[in-house]
Amino acid sequence: MRQKLSVARLARVFLRNGTFTFGGGDATTASLQRELVANRGWLSEREFGACYAVSRVTPGTNLLAFCTAVGWTLLGLRGALSALVLASIPGAVLLMLMTGFYDAAITNAWLASAIHAALAAAVGIMLAAVWLLLRGPLRRAPARTLVVAVPALVLSLYGLLTPLEVLALAAGFGLIAPGREPT
Amino acid sequence: MSAWLLYLLLLKATLISFSGLSSLPIVRDELVVHYAVLSDSQLNAAVALARAAPGPFGGYVISVGYFAGGVAGGIAGWLALITPALLAIPLVHYVARSTTHPRARSVVHAVVIASAALILVATVPIAAQALGSTVLIIIAAVSTLVLAATGLETAWVIACAAATGLLFAWFGVPL
Repeated sequence: MRQKLSVARLARVFLRNGTFTFGGGDATTASLQRELVANRGWLSEREFGACYAVSRVTPGTNLLAFCTAVGWTLLGLRGALSALVLASIPGAVLLMLMTGFYDAAITNAWLASAIHAALAAAVGIMLAAVWLLLRGPLRRAPARTLVVAVPALVLSLYGLLTPLEVLALAAGFGLIAPGREPT
Repeated sequence: MSAWLLYLLLLKATLISFSGLSSLPIVRDELVVHYAVLSDSQLNAAVALARAAPGPFGGYVISVGYFAGGVAGGIAGWLALITPALLAIPLVHYVARSTTHPRARSVVHAVVIASAALILVATVPIAAQALGSTVLIIIAAVSTLVLAATGLETAWVIACAAATGLLFAWFGVPL
């Protein structure tokens, strides 16, 4: 069931994820998937898929396109702008501070230790997101899920196709072989 | 270099790239080679800083902007980073209107599954770089289990991990 949604609540989610999620865009996307789909139920798996696909074909940084698409899907233009700005502002401010104090920052063992541990946790966030995304489809339509997931994994892992091409291939499969599963 | 020109040059780079660091060759060509307002070592530092900060790796253009033009340059970099994302609005608006059709739902469903595979693949290089010790591997494993089995928010997991890192640094064995 969807929790009550407002611009302020959505803004808090993006601000928090923009501030605390280390490990790059994929880790932040995974973290947002957890919060928006699994925990709060604001976004359905189908909406998440649409936003993810759009973010991959939008020029620039995938994560920010994803945030904008999610904001638009949930709350229109206000949601899109607040998501875009709040997901990017904390990292931007921190990055400017770190750039300003670059020499001191790279030699601070305490800061480096905390960041290394946070990056390790980001790996956990991404692995958990993979499980949460696949758990439902694997339960409802295991064969169809594996037919899409395994080739996507192999083709991307070995660099045979770019992520964009993998998504296009998956979309093509969905187009020519519609299952009864998605609702 | 004016902040406006810096914005336009960085925007040119971000607009014609499709992932975090794919704009790097254009940024180098414009700011290091053509305008000489940035050194290669500063460009490398910008990439390293973006990897150590929260948010997308593409945020390195903020550091690049800061190195080239101070705070105003950093803001120009941030604006260049976020501007292309606005193109997602018409795209998602169109896609959302199309997903009521069963075949379109099937497409999106397949994309969701493929996106999970892509996230898993993206985890590999990050894990290879981030999990350099047994303690870090344990932190990653515990984070995975906690997040997969509970509804705990990721910020708490990150905070606990960072606190663990500080604790190890306190005992003289930084991670």
